[in-house]
Amino acid sequence: MNAQSQSQSQSQRRKNFKIEAFKHKVELDPKYAERTWKVLEHAIHEIYNNNASRLSFEELYRSAYNMVLHKYGDKLYSGLVATMTAHLNKIAKSVESAQGGLFLEKLNHKWADHNKALQMIRDILMYMDRSYVPTSHKTPVHELGLNLWRDHIIHSPNIQARLQDTLLDLVQRERTGDVINRGLMRNITKMLMDLGSSVYQDDFEKPFLDVSASFYSGESQQFIECCDCGSYLKKAERRLNEEIERVSHYLDAKTEVKITSAVEREMIANHMQRLVHMDNSGLVNMLIDDKYDDLSRMYSLFKRVPDGLSTIRDVMTSYLRERGRVLVTDTERLKDPVEFVQCLLNEKDKHDKIISTAFNNDKTFQNALNSSFEYFINLNNRSPESISLYLDDKLRKGLKGASEEEVEVVLDKVMMLFRYLQEKDVFEKYYKQHLAKRLLSGKTVSDDAERSMIVKLKTECGYQFTSKLEGMFTDMKTSEDTMLDFYAKQSAELGDGPTLAVQILTTGSWPTQPTAACNLPPEILTVCEKFRTYYLGTHSGRRLTWQTNMGTADIKATFGKGHKHELNVSTYQMCVLMLFNSADGLTYREIEQATEIPALDLKRCLQSLACVKGKNVLRKEPMSKDISEEDVFYFNDKFTSKFVKVKIGTVVAQKESEPEKQEMRQRVEEDRKPQIEAAIVRIMKSRRVLDHNSIVAEVTKQLQSRFLPNPVVIKKRIESLIEREFLERDKADRKLYRYLA
Amino acid sequence: MRRSSNRKSSSASAAAGSGSTKAASKEFEKIDHLFNVYADKSSAIIDPEGIEQLCSSLEVDYTDVRILMLAWKMKAQKQGFFTLEEWRTGLKALRADSMSKLKKALPELDKEVSRPTDFLDFYSYAFRYCLTEDKQKCIDIESACQLLSLVLGTQFGPQVDKFTEYLKSQSEYKVMNMDQWMGFYRFCNEIPFPSLENYDSDLAWPLILDNFVEWFRENQK
Repeated sequence: MNAQSQSQSQSQRRKNFKIEAFKHKVELDPKYAERTWKVLEHAIHEIYNNNASRLSFEELYRSAYNMVLHKYGDKLYSGLVATMTAHLNKIAKSVESAQGGLFLEKLNHKWADHNKALQMIRDILMYMDRSYVPTSHKTPVHELGLNLWRDHIIHSPNIQARLQDTLLDLVQRERTGDVINRGLMRNITKMLMDLGSSVYQDDFEKPFLDVSASFYSGESQQFIECCDCGSYLKKAERRLNEEIERVSHYLDAKTEVKITSAVEREMIANHMQRLVHMDNSGLVNMLIDDKYDDLSRMYSLFKRVPDGLSTIRDVMTSYLRERGRVLVTDTERLKDPVEFVQCLLNEKDKHDKIISTAFNNDKTFQNALNSSFEYFINLNNRSPESISLYLDDKLRKGLKGASEEEVEVVLDKVMMLFRYLQEKDVFEKYYKQHLAKRLLSGKTVSDDAERSMIVKLKTECGYQFTSKLEGMFTDMKTSEDTMLDFYAKQSAELGDGPTLAVQILTTGSWPTQPTAACNLPPEILTVCEKFRTYYLGTHSGRRLTWQTNMGTADIKATFGKGHKHELNVSTYQMCVLMLFNSADGLTYREIEQATEIPALDLKRCLQSLACVKGKNVLRKEPMSKDISEEDVFYFNDKFTSKFVKVKIGTVVAQKESEPEKQEMRQRVEEDRKPQIEAAIVRIMKSRRVLDHNSIVAEVTKQLQSRFLPNPVVIKKRIESLIEREFLERDKADRKLYRYLA
Repeated sequence: MRRSSNRKSSSASAAAGSGSTKAASKEFEKIDHLFNVYADKSSAIIDPEGIEQLCSSLEVDYTDVRILMLAWKMKAQKQGFFTLEEWRTGLKALRADSMSKLKKALPELDKEVSRPTDFLDFYSYAFRYCLTEDKQKCIDIESACQLLSLVLGTQFGPQVDKFTEYLKSQSEYKVMNMDQWMGFYRFCNEIPFPSLENYDSDLAWPLILDNFVEWFRENQK
């Protein structure tokens, strides 16, 4: 060794030695590269032949490493490509030769093998993958393996079409009820995805979607010819769910939305109109029969397609409007307004339930329901009156015994109908009338219910609407207090006279009644005068007018054989009966003269006293049913009743007669005129100059919470205001009006 | 709020002076003389009888529209009567101081009135002239129809015929007011007849015209 001999010769002088690098050159001659490659090539073969266990990973890795290190990367890479390609071609032939059902299995099997092989090869060639591949811009091993598989197997002419057909055929079979090997399918589709999403899409997904579309197109056509709407929807839903399930089991997740939209388009969108309008089973029938399941299914299916929900909504709306229109123009039904309103409430309830149960409480449907109701309720101009009568019935007797919550529920439902009314001022008039009657006759089932209703109206319409109504309640209470005070102060003077209970009504708050005073019996007159004196004593400056057309009296009467009865009668009836204390028989004319009761009222009064079975405290000659002016009346000694207390009501019409209705309508129109004028003046005062259309629009807007003004009436009011010089036409532009200060 | 007024607004014709200077009385001598021919001796005003005589002198009918034009020129306040002041005003403006000159002035007057600006004034004057009572604001339909024929008959014959037919057939309106009167003239000028093409009831036409148009269209069918 050189180093040693050198140091030996110089050992006397100094211990000085150097260590030099090992300069043994390892020459990699080309033959070595070829040999190394052959080792690797052999290894690849063995791997593909499933003989990998005999190989040494270490050695192979080192071999590959050396090749790359000594700049034989190219050779290695191209060798790899060639070898793999050769193997894949062999595999292709093998797959091609598989018969029938074994085709996919073989493919799947070989794919698994290939992946295993690829992994091992990649591991062996990892150094090349990391150093040579990037610098030479080559495809990495794994990807290379996939691309080669794609090119030589999947896109092999004998395999490509067959693969597609096989897959689609399996899907078709499954759709028609066969059971298929889903696991195998899964692997194949996963393979396609692994090869690249464009491979999946081009080789499978696109054709899959096309085939599916025509399948469902055909199937839907078939179904729609033979199925009713409900069954069809069930089938459509089932198919939809099937496809979703299919995707989750063996297709790529991204396919879901594509296949479902194909199904939706073919089965639902293309047949929407026909389904909805199907005779005997379409939407309208479902609504009528409360088919919640079917409706719910229709809603969720149609929601998936464009314009689906609006289709349902439109059909529902036109059905509701028509149904409502029929309801409100049914003259038979309208004869009983309470029934009529109950019908409306039932319809509302029914459809509310449908919307909440089947239509997911969808707000747009709720709005459609509301607008439909608003439309048809106002087709009948007696709706305001009917609703008031319904409330009257409920507050008189309908809600008797109901709990507070039950009362609130009923009132709230009626308020919903009230909101739909355009002519709220008409309702106000009727409600006032009916409330007055209830209060005065004491026939209200619950004071709390009455007040609750007022509060609801106030919340809805504002203070002005209810101030007079509240005034009525105040009057009732004040009257009670006044009577207590009257009797406390006057008891001594009154002595044995009849007991008086007065209700003092403030004129502005109560509906106006025409008063025709009648002659009261002296005893009554006395006590009435005492009251008048007392009242005016504490309230000077006021004027009291007895309303003899209202009021009741309790009279003790003794009939033949000493039968005593207490009669509850109206004021008029009392006046008539008291006359018989001083005469047994009186003619009509005599009674008329003595009492001065107006003819129509007198006839009704006498009829109720003499012609009603079980209440005939008077006897009439002749015994005809009607009252004529020649009749004679006698005290009916022979009157009997099993009740001690007998109530004799007056023959009276509850609902308004035609002339009364006309009168009411006229009063409403008259009341509207000043409101319209006030609105016009308010608007013109702030805007100064305005054109006709704008005035009409503004006025309508301002008054919409009370009623819908007629544009013709508005124009008339404007002209009236011009005549009275509140407004003038603009001299320059005749289309404008100008406010005159 | 403006109070209603029957006073005519200013117009093109000159107002007569009222002073009685020597020159003025000389100026009006002939006019006054002519006045006295027709005036009632006690009241010193030309009354309906006097007007009738005036008409026969002028050789026009009592109901002729030119009498109304004359009244307009005079700015006469009360229908059927001419005061001295009014007489002076009118005749001076017409430059007439004799019956023959007055007769000759009438056709000129006719032409003058027909000028659009003057006609508008004349038209509204015609209405006010018919308001005989103090606070009266409307004239009855019958009279309105006659007045329309008189005043607009030549210019807008077809419209006037149809409108008066309508007015006589309906019962809703028993009188007509100034706004409606003026509206009708505007209607004749702006709306082609009988097509009524651009009539829009949403604009500010008086309601009576809306109803007329509706009636007219109904009857056309």
